[in-house]
Amino acid sequence: MTAETMPVAKEAPQPRKSSWKRTALIGLSRYGTIIGLLLMVLFFSINAPGVFLSRANFLNILSQASLTAIIASGLTYTLVVGEFDLSIGYVASFVGLIVTGLMAYEGFPIWLSILCALALGAGIGILNGLLVTKVRINAVISTLGIGTMLTGIGFTYSAFPIATGIPRAFTDISLGRIVFGLPNPVIIMVVVLLALWTVLNKTDIGQKMQAVGSNMEAARLSGIRVDRIKIFAFATAGFCAALTGTLLSSLLGSGTLAAADGYLLDAFAAVFLGSATLREGEFHITGTLVGVLILAVGFNGLSIFGAPTHFQPIFKGGILVLAVGMSALARRYAASA
Amino acid sequence: MSATVSAADAWMRIRGLTKSFAGELALDRADLDIARGRVHGLVGANGAGKSTLIRCLAGVTSPDQGSVTIAGDELQMGSPQASERAGLAFIHQELNLIPHFSALQNMLLGAPKVTRFGMIDWKRSGVAARAAAERVGIRFPLDTKVSELSVAQRWLVMIGKALTRDASMIAMDEPTASLSEPESEQLFAIIRDLAAQGVAILYVSHRLEEVLQLCDRITVLRDGRIVSEAKRGALDKKGLVRAIIGHAIRTPDERDRLAADRSRQPVFSARAIAWKRAVKDVSLDLYKGEVLALGGLVGAGRTEFAHLVTGLARPEAGHFELDGKRLDVANPSEAVRAGIALVPEERRSQGVMLQQSVAFNINISTLKLLRSVPGLPFLSDAKSRRQAESLVAHLGIKTPGVTAKIAGLSGGNQQKALIARWLNAGTKLLILDEPSRGVDVGAREEIHDAIRALARSGVGILVISSDVEELTLLADRVLVMREGRITGELTGADITEARIIELSYHDAQDDQGEAA
Repeated sequence: MTAETMPVAKEAPQPRKSSWKRTALIGLSRYGTIIGLLLMVLFFSINAPGVFLSRANFLNILSQASLTAIIASGLTYTLVVGEFDLSIGYVASFVGLIVTGLMAYEGFPIWLSILCALALGAGIGILNGLLVTKVRINAVISTLGIGTMLTGIGFTYSAFPIATGIPRAFTDISLGRIVFGLPNPVIIMVVVLLALWTVLNKTDIGQKMQAVGSNMEAARLSGIRVDRIKIFAFATAGFCAALTGTLLSSLLGSGTLAAADGYLLDAFAAVFLGSATLREGEFHITGTLVGVLILAVGFNGLSIFGAPTHFQPIFKGGILVLAVGMSALARRYAASA
Repeated sequence: MSATVSAADAWMRIRGLTKSFAGELALDRADLDIARGRVHGLVGANGAGKSTLIRCLAGVTSPDQGSVTIAGDELQMGSPQASERAGLAFIHQELNLIPHFSALQNMLLGAPKVTRFGMIDWKRSGVAARAAAERVGIRFPLDTKVSELSVAQRWLVMIGKALTRDASMIAMDEPTASLSEPESEQLFAIIRDLAAQGVAILYVSHRLEEVLQLCDRITVLRDGRIVSEAKRGALDKKGLVRAIIGHAIRTPDERDRLAADRSRQPVFSARAIAWKRAVKDVSLDLYKGEVLALGGLVGAGRTEFAHLVTGLARPEAGHFELDGKRLDVANPSEAVRAGIALVPEERRSQGVMLQQSVAFNINISTLKLLRSVPGLPFLSDAKSRRQAESLVAHLGIKTPGVTAKIAGLSGGNQQKALIARWLNAGTKLLILDEPSRGVDVGAREEIHDAIRALARSGVGILVISSDVEELTLLADRVLVMREGRITGELTGADITEARIIELSYHDAQDDQGEAA
């Protein structure tokens, strides 16, 4: 249908704002998150120079951020193709439990346990993708259903934390510092994010993912196998969730039920903050990283200032609402531009 | 027919209306008088300023300068409420109706309602709406859900809605874009009737035939200026086109039609294709070099046929052949791999990826060609840019650059980008469904040239169009479909609007009731 003729009855028919105001608003929506991050760093640096502004604390922030960044980047893929994955937190918890179980109960070597864990995560992602594309269950429902089932299956597998019989070498994975004295999870995050960024921006499949997310029908008519692309995105999300779950188990030195459930909310907050970063409401890996850093710096600052623990959910929930709000506003400005 | 209205010529006076966006004049000192009881046509290419003019009247855009007086009172600019109070109503092509509300509920949307004990009394609230329905000649029950109404009936609801509010002027945007011929005729009768009742109609359309036929006065806009203003009969089609684009255009008789060599093997064939009740026993052959068109009414089964060819649906009987080989595609992706592509009817919802760049939209179907190293999935930015730039230049797509978002392009240029998508994709058969819908005459000619050049270069071209004039301008051969069957074939000098229409309606009397 022609939109160029008489867009009178379009929604939000606001008269155009004066141009400097528009530019300022777009600028704010693009760089707002980055400015916010810098302001937070500045604030904490001035007010707690000794504690916040140290190499040790920065590394601490980065390694905290790394697990969230990995799982959030996987989630970014599903959002790029216009879908959703609410199972990632549960997948991470479940896989974290299974990976320790494989070592402690089944006596698998570390490398095989991890391989199985990652394959399991990708497999659950593929299952999610099949349910969404082939059976056509709404992604919110199918991933929530699968996620909930996983908590039950995890409970059946082991109602108690698996803490004994885990090789020392496994816990060393996340505690070690093999490269440049940086914590291993940070290195793993850098590698994973670089790979995901490259695939999304520099390869066929990344372009196809963006096409599917922009206009599914047009993508289908362009010859793109939409279902496969979506399943790939879900598989990536599952794989990343499994990696985060495995690293968390390594960090905790145990496999614990529901240990990683909270990552779901963190990941969503980060991804939506990211979608309002540098672009107008599009999901992308760089943005997601900025979102994760905002959360990590925020949590870090809160704990340095001795804020009570219950402040964390307030901050987290607030950021999520703020992030989604900013993302929505950014999209609206993009649409009216 | 406007005898009841006397000396009404200056009911609405628009004076010196000027509006610029980002330093560019969208509307330049427009003066216009609109009379009650008249149908006033507003034509012009996309970007000529029609939208801006209408938006100013509707109060959704504030003009930089100029004034509008209605029956002597100055209209407060920039206020949709003020415009509505002044009796101005606007019906957009996309019809803002709520599908699961009844016709009556839609007509009363936003209007004051009579309540009893805090509940809406639909019976009494509906008095004005029922009267309006009568004036428009609505014959279906007003409690019918809008989702169950035809597009034509929805237009009646929108007009009824305007009348319920006592509108003195109704602006309509491309009312016939999705209507069949009898439905259009019915709408014209209602429009004339409304005019006779003293309503002013502002009629915006790209379909010049109907503007000439319907409108008492025609105003032509070009580059933000009013370039021509004529009474009925003072301007013919040629003159109108010249006014719109600023120069003359080729007529159907001036162009050569290619008579394809039918002794050779066809590029594409359909053999006894059947699908549900929409497509019945359709067979056709498409020869190298020719532009083959499927004509007929909306709903004749042409779009469904295109969907069958492109794998969006699978035929229940019959088969296709491409280059003499039997073709069996289960989905669009297999069709594209086989060399069959569709430029769909709904440009915005099925064609362009609006938030992506022009280059992205052009390159998306040829990603394999754009790899840095063949065999590895990595794309070369330089190759992507080069391909997009060369196709943009080749088709004359007007864009600030290939990295610009496609959303900023006019409909005609978006359409060209969608055609560009298939130029390097090894396409053997390109199906274009309504290729120039909502595109202005100038852009339409450019699109036609591109399609014809593509056909001559050896790509099989199948065009589907409900625009009879487009068929006469573009096609080398026309197959007319009616109710799922091919009812006739026209070649050479036989391709005339009259013949196509005749074949489209051939013993179609019993359709009339449905159309109402």
